[in-house]
Amino acid sequence: MKLAGALLIISASTAAGWLYGSMLRKRRKNLADLRRLLQWLETEIGYNLIPLREAFFRISQRLQGEVSLLATVFIRYLDDPGGLTAGEAWQKTIQNCREKLVLAGPDWMILEDLGCNLGTTDREHQLKAVREGIERIKIQETAVEEQAVKNEKLYRYLGMAAGTLAVLLFY
Amino acid sequence: MAGIREVLTYLAPRLRRTLEKMGGALQELEEVRLRAGRPLQVETGLVSTLVTPEGLFTDRKERAFRVTEEDILRSLQLMGENSLYTLEEELKEGFLTLPGGHRVGLAGECLAENGRLVRVKRVTALNLRIARETIGSSRPVLPFLVAEKRPLRIMIISPPQAGKTTLLRDIVRSFSNGEGVPAPVKVGLVDERGEIAGCFRGVPQLDVGIRTDVLTGCPKRDGIFLLLRSMSPQVIATDEIGRPADLQVIEEVLNAGVGFIVTAHAWDTQDLALRPVLREIWLQGLVEKVIILSRRYGSGTLEGIWDGKTKKALPVKPVRLGVGN
Repeated sequence: MKLAGALLIISASTAAGWLYGSMLRKRRKNLADLRRLLQWLETEIGYNLIPLREAFFRISQRLQGEVSLLATVFIRYLDDPGGLTAGEAWQKTIQNCREKLVLAGPDWMILEDLGCNLGTTDREHQLKAVREGIERIKIQETAVEEQAVKNEKLYRYLGMAAGTLAVLLFY
Repeated sequence: MAGIREVLTYLAPRLRRTLEKMGGALQELEEVRLRAGRPLQVETGLVSTLVTPEGLFTDRKERAFRVTEEDILRSLQLMGENSLYTLEEELKEGFLTLPGGHRVGLAGECLAENGRLVRVKRVTALNLRIARETIGSSRPVLPFLVAEKRPLRIMIISPPQAGKTTLLRDIVRSFSNGEGVPAPVKVGLVDERGEIAGCFRGVPQLDVGIRTDVLTGCPKRDGIFLLLRSMSPQVIATDEIGRPADLQVIEEVLNAGVGFIVTAHAWDTQDLALRPVLREIWLQGLVEKVIILSRRYGSGTLEGIWDGKTKKALPVKPVRLGVGN
Protein backbone atom coordinates (compact mmCIF):
# COMPACT_ATOMS: atom_id res chain seq x y z
CA MET A 1 0.00 0.00 0.00
CA LYS A 2 2.73 2.38 0.98
CA LEU A 3 4.65 1.46 -2.11
CA ALA A 4 1.68 2.20 -4.34
CA GLY A 5 1.22 5.59 -2.67
CA ALA A 6 4.90 6.36 -3.08
CA LEU A 7 4.78 5.50 -6.76
CA LEU A 8 1.71 7.64 -7.18
CA ILE A 9 3.39 10.67 -5.63
CA ILE A 10 6.52 10.24 -7.70
CA SER A 11 4.63 9.82 -10.96
CA ALA A 12 2.32 12.77 -10.20
CA SER A 13 5.17 15.13 -9.48
CA THR A 14 7.07 13.87 -12.51
CA ALA A 15 4.00 14.58 -14.60
CA ALA A 16 3.77 18.07 -13.10
CA GLY A 17 7.37 18.70 -14.09
CA TRP A 18 6.70 17.42 -17.60
CA LEU A 19 3.63 19.54 -17.84
CA TYR A 20 5.53 22.67 -16.91
CA GLY A 21 8.16 21.83 -19.49
CA SER A 22 5.55 21.27 -22.16
CA MET A 23 3.85 24.58 -21.31
CA LEU A 24 7.15 26.26 -21.93
CA ARG A 25 7.45 24.52 -25.30
CA LYS A 26 3.92 25.54 -26.19
CA ARG A 27 4.50 29.20 -25.32
CA ARG A 28 7.60 29.07 -27.48
CA LYS A 29 5.59 27.82 -30.43
CA ASN A 30 2.81 30.33 -29.82
CA LEU A 31 5.26 33.21 -29.69
CA ALA A 32 6.72 32.12 -33.02
CA ASP A 33 3.20 31.92 -34.50
CA LEU A 34 2.33 35.31 -33.07
CA ARG A 35 5.42 36.78 -34.69
CA ARG A 36 4.35 35.21 -37.99
CA LEU A 37 0.87 36.69 -37.57
CA LEU A 38 2.28 40.17 -37.09
CA GLN A 39 4.71 39.77 -39.97
CA TRP A 40 1.84 38.87 -42.28
CA LEU A 41 -0.17 41.77 -40.91
CA GLU A 42 2.77 44.03 -41.74
CA THR A 43 2.67 42.85 -45.36
CA GLU A 44 -1.11 43.17 -45.63
CA ILE A 45 -1.06 46.73 -44.30
CA GLY A 46 2.19 47.89 -45.85
CA TYR A 47 2.04 46.42 -49.35
CA ASN A 48 -1.47 45.16 -50.01
CA LEU A 49 -3.16 48.02 -48.15
CA ILE A 50 -6.20 45.91 -47.33
CA PRO A 51 -8.60 46.52 -44.41
CA LEU A 52 -8.06 44.75 -41.09
CA ARG A 53 -10.97 42.35 -41.43
CA GLU A 54 -9.79 41.01 -44.74
CA ALA A 55 -6.19 40.98 -43.57
CA PHE A 56 -7.04 38.91 -40.51
CA PHE A 57 -9.22 36.60 -42.58
CA ARG A 58 -6.30 35.88 -44.89
CA ILE A 59 -4.03 35.36 -41.90
CA SER A 60 -6.49 32.99 -40.23
CA GLN A 61 -6.48 30.89 -43.40
CA ARG A 62 -2.72 30.57 -43.38
CA LEU A 63 -1.85 30.39 -39.72
CA GLN A 64 -1.70 26.93 -38.15
CA GLY A 65 -2.03 26.25 -34.43
CA GLU A 66 -3.98 27.80 -31.63
CA VAL A 67 -2.81 31.40 -32.21
CA SER A 68 -5.09 31.55 -35.26
CA LEU A 69 -7.89 31.74 -32.69
CA LEU A 70 -6.92 35.39 -32.16
CA ALA A 71 -7.63 36.13 -35.82
CA THR A 72 -10.96 34.31 -35.96
CA VAL A 73 -12.24 35.82 -32.69
CA PHE A 74 -11.13 39.30 -33.80
CA ILE A 75 -13.06 38.96 -37.07
CA ARG A 76 -16.13 37.88 -35.12
CA TYR A 77 -15.99 41.03 -32.97
CA LEU A 78 -15.37 43.25 -36.00
CA ASP A 79 -18.54 41.83 -37.54
CA ASP A 80 -20.51 42.68 -34.41
CA PRO A 81 -23.61 44.63 -35.49
CA GLY A 82 -23.08 46.95 -32.50
CA GLY A 83 -20.32 48.65 -34.46
CA LEU A 84 -17.16 48.13 -32.39
CA THR A 85 -13.99 49.97 -33.31
CA ALA A 86 -10.93 47.88 -34.13
CA GLY A 87 -9.41 48.80 -30.74
CA GLU A 88 -12.49 47.63 -28.85
CA ALA A 89 -12.75 44.44 -30.89
CA TRP A 90 -9.08 43.72 -30.18
CA GLN A 91 -9.53 44.26 -26.41
CA LYS A 92 -12.47 41.86 -26.39
CA THR A 93 -10.46 39.35 -28.39
CA ILE A 94 -7.71 39.45 -25.77
CA GLN A 95 -10.22 38.98 -22.94
CA ASN A 96 -11.81 36.11 -24.79
CA CYS A 97 -8.56 34.30 -25.61
CA ARG A 98 -6.56 34.92 -22.44
CA GLU A 99 -7.62 31.62 -20.85
CA LYS A 100 -7.41 29.64 -24.05
CA LEU A 101 -3.89 30.36 -25.28
CA VAL A 102 -0.61 29.48 -23.61
CA LEU A 103 1.07 32.87 -23.43
CA ALA A 104 2.57 34.75 -20.49
CA GLY A 105 1.78 38.18 -19.03
CA PRO A 106 4.39 40.12 -21.02
CA ASP A 107 3.13 38.54 -24.26
CA TRP A 108 -0.42 39.74 -23.60
CA MET A 109 0.97 43.17 -22.75
CA ILE A 110 2.51 43.37 -26.23
CA LEU A 111 -0.84 42.50 -27.79
CA GLU A 112 -2.68 45.03 -25.63
CA ASP A 113 -0.28 47.80 -26.65
CA LEU A 114 -0.73 46.88 -30.29
CA GLY A 115 -4.50 47.28 -29.95
CA CYS A 116 -4.31 50.88 -28.75
CA ASN A 117 -4.04 52.44 -32.20
CA LEU A 118 -5.14 49.56 -34.37
CA GLY A 119 -6.84 50.89 -37.48
CA THR A 120 -6.94 54.49 -36.32
CA THR A 121 -3.80 55.96 -37.83
CA ASP A 122 -2.16 56.17 -41.25
CA ARG A 123 -0.15 53.39 -42.81
CA GLU A 124 3.19 54.62 -41.56
CA HIS A 125 2.10 54.63 -37.92
CA GLN A 126 0.31 51.30 -38.20
CA LEU A 127 3.46 49.72 -39.58
CA LYS A 128 5.55 51.29 -36.84
CA ALA A 129 3.28 49.79 -34.19
CA VAL A 130 3.23 46.35 -35.82
CA ARG A 131 7.02 46.33 -36.24
CA GLU A 132 7.48 47.34 -32.64
CA GLY A 133 5.23 44.43 -31.65
CA ILE A 134 7.34 42.05 -33.72
CA GLU A 135 10.55 43.26 -32.09
CA ARG A 136 9.09 42.88 -28.62
CA ILE A 137 7.91 39.36 -29.39
CA LYS A 138 11.37 38.48 -30.64
CA ILE A 139 12.77 39.57 -27.28
CA GLN A 140 10.28 37.29 -25.50
CA GLU A 141 11.18 34.46 -27.85
CA THR A 142 14.86 34.80 -27.03
CA ALA A 143 14.14 34.89 -23.32
CA VAL A 144 11.94 31.77 -23.54
CA GLU A 145 14.59 30.05 -25.63
CA GLU A 146 17.25 30.66 -23.01
CA GLN A 147 14.93 29.61 -20.24
CA ALA A 148 14.07 26.45 -22.11
CA VAL A 149 17.66 25.41 -22.74
CA LYS A 150 18.46 25.91 -19.10
CA ASN A 151 15.36 24.63 -17.44
CA GLU A 152 13.27 22.33 -19.59
CA LYS A 153 15.13 19.18 -18.56
CA LEU A 154 15.57 20.56 -15.09
CA TYR A 155 11.82 20.89 -14.56
CA ARG A 156 11.21 17.35 -15.68
CA TYR A 157 13.87 15.91 -13.35
CA LEU A 158 13.02 18.36 -10.60
CA GLY A 159 9.44 17.14 -10.69
CA MET A 160 10.57 13.55 -10.27
CA ALA A 161 13.15 14.49 -7.64
CA ALA A 162 10.63 16.51 -5.62
CA GLY A 163 8.26 13.55 -5.72
CA THR A 164 10.99 11.18 -4.61
CA LEU A 165 11.98 13.53 -1.80
CA ALA A 166 8.40 13.75 -0.57
CA VAL A 167 8.18 9.96 -0.58
CA LEU A 168 11.44 9.60 1.31
CA LEU A 169 10.33 12.11 3.91
CA PHE A 170 6.96 10.54 4.60
CA TYR A 171 7.79 6.91 4.06
CA MET B 1 -35.37 52.32 -48.24
CA ALA B 2 -32.43 49.98 -48.73
CA GLY B 3 -30.29 53.03 -49.43
CA ILE B 4 -30.66 54.75 -46.11
CA ARG B 5 -30.67 51.49 -44.12
CA GLU B 6 -27.36 50.66 -45.73
CA VAL B 7 -25.93 54.03 -44.75
CA LEU B 8 -27.05 53.69 -41.12
CA THR B 9 -24.75 50.71 -40.56
CA TYR B 10 -21.80 53.06 -41.11
CA LEU B 11 -22.85 55.47 -38.38
CA ALA B 12 -21.84 55.38 -34.72
CA PRO B 13 -24.45 53.29 -32.82
CA ARG B 14 -25.74 56.36 -30.92
CA LEU B 15 -26.49 58.22 -34.16
CA ARG B 16 -27.89 55.13 -35.80
CA ARG B 17 -30.39 54.58 -32.99
CA THR B 18 -31.55 58.20 -33.14
CA LEU B 19 -32.05 58.18 -36.90
CA GLU B 20 -33.82 54.82 -36.78
CA LYS B 21 -36.46 56.43 -34.56
CA MET B 22 -37.43 58.63 -37.51
CA GLY B 23 -39.28 55.68 -39.05
CA GLY B 24 -40.90 56.51 -42.39
CA ALA B 25 -39.30 59.97 -42.59
CA LEU B 26 -35.98 58.20 -43.15
CA GLN B 27 -36.95 57.56 -46.75
CA GLU B 28 -37.04 61.28 -47.42
CA LEU B 29 -33.47 61.92 -46.33
CA GLU B 30 -31.03 63.10 -48.96
CA GLU B 31 -28.24 64.21 -46.68
CA VAL B 32 -27.19 63.58 -43.10
CA ARG B 33 -24.77 66.18 -41.79
CA LEU B 34 -22.63 65.60 -38.72
CA ARG B 35 -20.57 68.35 -37.14
CA ALA B 36 -18.67 67.92 -33.87
CA GLY B 37 -20.36 69.75 -30.99
CA ARG B 38 -23.27 70.86 -33.15
CA PRO B 39 -26.83 69.65 -33.75
CA LEU B 40 -27.62 66.70 -35.99
CA GLN B 41 -28.86 68.11 -39.28
CA VAL B 42 -30.63 66.42 -42.17
CA GLU B 43 -31.75 67.53 -45.59
CA THR B 44 -34.79 66.14 -47.33
CA GLY B 45 -35.85 67.04 -50.84
CA LEU B 46 -37.68 70.10 -49.55
CA VAL B 47 -36.40 71.10 -46.12
CA SER B 48 -33.23 71.47 -44.10
CA THR B 49 -33.93 70.61 -40.47
CA LEU B 50 -32.49 69.39 -37.17
CA VAL B 51 -33.29 66.10 -35.44
CA THR B 52 -34.07 65.54 -31.73
CA PRO B 53 -32.76 62.54 -29.73
CA GLU B 54 -36.26 61.08 -30.20
CA GLY B 55 -35.89 61.19 -33.98
CA LEU B 56 -38.28 64.10 -34.55
CA PHE B 57 -37.71 67.13 -36.75
CA THR B 58 -37.10 70.43 -34.96
CA ASP B 59 -35.91 73.91 -35.80
CA ARG B 60 -34.70 74.63 -32.27
CA LYS B 61 -31.07 73.82 -31.86
CA GLU B 62 -31.25 73.40 -28.08
CA ARG B 63 -33.72 70.54 -28.56
CA ALA B 64 -31.66 68.79 -31.20
CA PHE B 65 -29.40 65.79 -30.80
CA ARG B 66 -25.85 67.01 -30.29
CA VAL B 67 -23.18 65.26 -32.34
CA THR B 68 -19.85 64.68 -30.59
CA GLU B 69 -16.39 64.34 -32.05
CA GLU B 70 -16.43 60.76 -30.77
CA ASP B 71 -19.54 60.08 -32.91
CA ILE B 72 -17.72 61.37 -35.96
CA LEU B 73 -14.53 59.42 -35.32
CA ARG B 74 -16.48 56.24 -34.68
CA SER B 75 -18.51 56.71 -37.86
CA LEU B 76 -15.38 57.41 -39.86
CA GLN B 77 -13.79 54.23 -38.54
CA LEU B 78 -16.84 52.20 -39.49
CA MET B 79 -16.82 53.79 -42.94
CA GLY B 80 -13.16 52.93 -43.33
CA GLU B 81 -13.82 49.32 -42.24
CA ASN B 82 -11.86 50.08 -39.08
CA SER B 83 -8.76 50.60 -41.17
CA LEU B 84 -8.13 54.29 -41.66
CA TYR B 85 -4.78 53.50 -43.30
CA THR B 86 -6.73 52.37 -46.36
CA LEU B 87 -8.34 55.82 -46.64
CA GLU B 88 -5.22 57.94 -47.11
CA GLU B 89 -6.14 58.83 -50.69
CA GLU B 90 -9.70 59.66 -49.62
CA LEU B 91 -8.52 61.87 -46.76
CA LYS B 92 -6.50 63.76 -49.33
CA GLU B 93 -9.44 64.13 -51.71
CA GLY B 94 -11.84 65.00 -48.93
CA PHE B 95 -14.47 62.38 -49.71
CA LEU B 96 -15.06 58.67 -49.77
CA THR B 97 -17.58 56.35 -51.38
CA LEU B 98 -19.44 53.65 -49.46
CA PRO B 99 -20.77 50.39 -50.88
CA GLY B 100 -24.08 51.30 -52.46
CA GLY B 101 -22.55 54.42 -54.01
CA HIS B 102 -23.27 56.75 -51.08
CA ARG B 103 -20.87 59.63 -50.83
CA VAL B 104 -19.32 60.99 -47.67
CA GLY B 105 -17.70 64.42 -47.66
CA LEU B 106 -15.13 65.24 -44.99
CA ALA B 107 -14.13 68.50 -43.35
CA GLY B 108 -12.00 69.48 -40.39
CA GLU B 109 -8.42 70.38 -39.63
CA CYS B 110 -6.09 69.90 -42.56
CA LEU B 111 -2.43 69.17 -42.91
CA ALA B 112 -0.67 71.19 -45.59
CA GLU B 113 2.87 71.13 -46.89
CA ASN B 114 4.41 73.74 -49.17
CA GLY B 115 1.04 75.36 -49.63
CA ARG B 116 -0.60 72.13 -50.78
CA LEU B 117 -3.18 70.03 -48.98
CA VAL B 118 -1.71 66.75 -47.70
CA ARG B 119 -4.84 65.40 -46.03
CA VAL B 120 -7.68 66.16 -43.65
CA LYS B 121 -5.86 65.45 -40.41
CA ARG B 122 -8.65 65.68 -37.93
CA VAL B 123 -12.11 65.04 -39.29
CA THR B 124 -14.76 67.03 -37.42
CA ALA B 125 -17.56 67.10 -39.97
CA LEU B 126 -19.13 64.49 -42.22
CA ASN B 127 -21.74 64.93 -44.91
CA LEU B 128 -23.48 61.77 -46.08
CA ARG B 129 -25.19 62.03 -49.42
CA ILE B 130 -27.54 59.16 -49.92
CA ALA B 131 -27.34 57.83 -53.45
CA ARG B 132 -30.73 57.43 -54.99
CA GLU B 133 -31.43 55.31 -57.96
CA THR B 134 -34.65 56.33 -59.59
CA ILE B 135 -34.71 53.74 -62.31
CA GLY B 136 -36.80 54.96 -65.20
CA SER B 137 -36.82 58.63 -64.13
CA SER B 138 -35.36 59.69 -67.47
CA ARG B 139 -38.24 58.15 -69.47
CA PRO B 140 -40.13 61.44 -70.08
CA VAL B 141 -37.04 63.18 -71.48
CA LEU B 142 -35.59 60.34 -73.58
CA PRO B 143 -37.67 61.05 -76.75
CA PHE B 144 -36.04 64.50 -76.93
CA LEU B 145 -32.50 63.17 -76.68
CA VAL B 146 -32.19 61.07 -79.81
CA ALA B 147 -32.43 62.14 -83.45
CA GLU B 148 -32.16 59.85 -86.49
CA LYS B 149 -31.07 57.07 -84.14
CA ARG B 150 -28.12 59.20 -83.09
CA PRO B 151 -27.72 60.23 -79.46
CA LEU B 152 -27.53 64.01 -79.26
CA ARG B 153 -25.12 66.24 -77.37
CA ILE B 154 -26.89 66.92 -74.12
CA MET B 155 -26.31 69.14 -71.12
CA ILE B 156 -28.25 68.88 -67.86
CA ILE B 157 -28.25 72.08 -65.81
CA SER B 158 -29.71 72.87 -62.40
CA PRO B 159 -28.90 74.49 -59.07
CA PRO B 160 -27.15 72.17 -56.57
CA GLN B 161 -29.07 69.14 -55.30
CA ALA B 162 -31.79 69.16 -57.87
CA GLY B 163 -31.03 65.68 -59.16
CA LYS B 164 -28.58 66.29 -62.04
CA THR B 165 -26.44 63.28 -61.27
CA THR B 166 -29.44 61.03 -60.69
CA LEU B 167 -30.92 61.97 -64.07
CA LEU B 168 -27.56 61.64 -65.82
CA ARG B 169 -27.18 58.13 -64.37
CA ASP B 170 -30.61 57.08 -65.58
CA ILE B 171 -30.08 58.50 -69.07
CA VAL B 172 -26.77 56.61 -69.25
CA ARG B 173 -28.50 53.44 -68.09
CA SER B 174 -31.33 53.81 -70.63
CA PHE B 175 -28.98 54.55 -73.55
CA SER B 176 -26.74 51.69 -72.57
CA ASN B 177 -29.55 49.17 -72.13
CA GLY B 178 -31.49 50.45 -75.13
CA GLU B 179 -34.56 51.29 -73.05
CA GLY B 180 -36.78 54.08 -74.38
CA VAL B 181 -34.37 54.77 -77.26
CA PRO B 182 -34.35 53.28 -80.79
CA ALA B 183 -31.14 51.30 -80.29
CA PRO B 184 -28.69 50.67 -77.44
CA VAL B 185 -25.39 52.55 -77.52
CA LYS B 186 -21.99 52.03 -75.95
CA VAL B 187 -21.40 54.63 -73.26
CA GLY B 188 -18.05 55.77 -71.89
CA LEU B 189 -18.55 57.20 -68.43
CA VAL B 190 -15.86 59.34 -66.82
CA ASP B 191 -16.86 59.44 -63.18
CA GLU B 192 -14.28 61.81 -61.77
CA ARG B 193 -15.74 62.02 -58.28
CA GLY B 194 -17.24 58.55 -58.19
CA GLU B 195 -20.75 59.90 -57.80
CA ILE B 196 -22.43 58.68 -60.97
CA ALA B 197 -21.68 54.98 -60.83
CA GLY B 198 -20.89 55.01 -57.10
CA CYS B 199 -17.91 52.74 -57.57
CA PHE B 200 -16.64 50.86 -54.54
CA ARG B 201 -13.21 49.41 -55.27
CA GLY B 202 -13.74 50.04 -58.97
CA VAL B 203 -17.06 48.19 -59.29
CA PRO B 204 -20.19 50.28 -60.04
CA GLN B 205 -22.68 49.99 -57.20
CA LEU B 206 -25.43 51.79 -59.07
CA ASP B 207 -26.99 50.64 -62.32
CA VAL B 208 -25.31 52.44 -65.20
CA GLY B 209 -26.33 49.93 -67.87
CA ILE B 210 -24.78 46.91 -69.51
CA ARG B 211 -22.88 48.70 -72.28
CA THR B 212 -21.22 51.29 -70.07
CA ASP B 213 -17.48 51.42 -69.44
CA VAL B 214 -16.62 53.36 -66.29
CA LEU B 215 -13.44 55.23 -65.44
CA THR B 216 -13.59 56.28 -61.85
CA GLY B 217 -11.40 58.73 -59.94
CA CYS B 218 -9.86 59.80 -63.26
CA PRO B 219 -9.41 63.45 -64.29
CA LYS B 220 -12.04 64.34 -66.91
CA ARG B 221 -9.69 65.28 -69.72
CA ASP B 222 -7.42 62.23 -69.44
CA GLY B 223 -10.39 59.95 -68.91
CA ILE B 224 -12.29 61.14 -71.97
CA PHE B 225 -9.25 60.85 -74.23
CA LEU B 226 -8.51 57.40 -72.87
CA LEU B 227 -12.05 56.21 -73.55
CA LEU B 228 -12.14 57.75 -77.04
CA ARG B 229 -8.86 56.00 -77.89
CA SER B 230 -9.50 52.65 -76.35
CA MET B 231 -13.19 51.84 -75.86
CA SER B 232 -14.90 53.25 -79.01
CA PRO B 233 -17.84 54.78 -77.14
CA GLN B 234 -20.83 56.22 -79.02
CA VAL B 235 -21.63 58.55 -76.14
CA ILE B 236 -19.36 60.09 -73.51
CA ALA B 237 -20.93 60.95 -70.16
CA THR B 238 -19.43 63.03 -67.38
CA ASP B 239 -20.39 65.22 -64.44
CA GLU B 240 -19.91 68.89 -63.60
CA ILE B 241 -18.20 70.66 -66.44
CA GLY B 242 -17.35 74.37 -66.36
CA ARG B 243 -13.59 74.70 -66.09
CA PRO B 244 -11.65 76.36 -68.95
CA ALA B 245 -10.02 73.05 -69.95
CA ASP B 246 -13.45 71.46 -70.38
CA LEU B 247 -14.21 73.49 -73.51
CA GLN B 248 -11.34 71.89 -75.38
CA VAL B 249 -12.41 68.44 -74.19
CA ILE B 250 -15.95 69.03 -75.48
CA GLU B 251 -14.55 70.08 -78.85
CA GLU B 252 -12.45 66.92 -79.00
CA VAL B 253 -15.50 64.78 -78.33
CA LEU B 254 -17.33 66.67 -81.06
CA ASN B 255 -14.47 66.04 -83.50
CA ALA B 256 -14.54 62.36 -82.69
CA GLY B 257 -18.17 62.32 -83.87
CA VAL B 258 -19.38 61.04 -80.55
CA GLY B 259 -22.42 62.21 -78.59
CA PHE B 260 -22.13 63.40 -75.03
CA ILE B 261 -24.13 63.96 -71.88
CA VAL B 262 -22.72 66.38 -69.34
CA THR B 263 -24.03 68.23 -66.31
CA ALA B 264 -23.30 71.77 -65.11
CA HIS B 265 -24.31 74.18 -62.38
CA ALA B 266 -26.64 76.85 -63.74
CA TRP B 267 -30.18 77.93 -62.94
CA ASP B 268 -31.50 78.44 -66.46
CA THR B 269 -30.37 79.32 -69.97
CA GLN B 270 -29.95 83.00 -69.04
CA ASP B 271 -27.65 82.02 -66.20
CA LEU B 272 -25.88 79.64 -68.61
CA ALA B 273 -25.10 82.54 -70.94
CA LEU B 274 -23.35 84.35 -68.07
CA ARG B 275 -20.94 81.60 -67.02
CA PRO B 276 -17.51 81.82 -68.65
CA VAL B 277 -17.02 78.36 -70.16
CA LEU B 278 -20.63 77.24 -70.30
CA ARG B 279 -21.47 80.37 -72.29
CA GLU B 280 -19.14 79.28 -75.09
CA ILE B 281 -20.61 75.81 -75.16
CA TRP B 282 -24.16 77.20 -75.23
CA LEU B 283 -23.69 80.09 -77.63
CA GLN B 284 -21.56 78.13 -80.11
CA GLY B 285 -24.31 75.53 -80.24
CA LEU B 286 -22.02 72.71 -79.12
CA VAL B 287 -24.90 71.22 -77.18
CA GLU B 288 -28.05 70.19 -79.00
CA LYS B 289 -30.38 69.87 -76.02
CA VAL B 290 -30.30 71.45 -72.57
CA ILE B 291 -32.36 69.86 -69.81
CA ILE B 292 -33.18 72.16 -66.89
CA LEU B 293 -33.98 70.77 -63.46
CA SER B 294 -35.13 72.50 -60.29
CA ARG B 295 -36.44 71.66 -56.83
CA ARG B 296 -39.84 73.18 -57.42
CA TYR B 297 -41.79 69.99 -56.64
CA GLY B 298 -38.84 68.38 -54.85
CA SER B 299 -35.48 67.24 -56.14
CA GLY B 300 -35.60 66.19 -59.78
CA THR B 301 -38.28 68.53 -61.12
CA LEU B 302 -38.04 68.91 -64.89
CA GLU B 303 -38.35 72.62 -65.63
CA GLY B 304 -37.87 72.47 -69.34
CA ILE B 305 -35.84 71.31 -72.32
CA TRP B 306 -34.20 73.82 -74.64
CA ASP B 307 -32.96 73.41 -78.15
CA GLY B 308 -29.30 74.34 -78.53
CA LYS B 309 -29.61 75.54 -82.13
CA THR B 310 -32.82 77.56 -82.05
CA LYS B 311 -32.25 78.59 -78.40
CA LYS B 312 -35.95 78.01 -77.78
CA ALA B 313 -37.78 75.99 -75.17
CA LEU B 314 -39.52 72.80 -76.24
CA PRO B 315 -43.11 72.26 -75.16
CA VAL B 316 -42.73 70.28 -71.92
CA LYS B 317 -44.62 70.76 -68.68
CA PRO B 318 -42.82 70.96 -65.35
CA VAL B 319 -43.03 67.54 -63.70
CA ARG B 320 -41.14 65.75 -60.96
CA LEU B 321 -39.12 63.00 -62.64
CA GLY B 322 -39.05 59.53 -61.13
CA VAL B 323 -42.37 60.05 -59.38
CA GLY B 324 -45.28 58.32 -61.04
CA ASN B 325 -43.66 57.79 -64.41
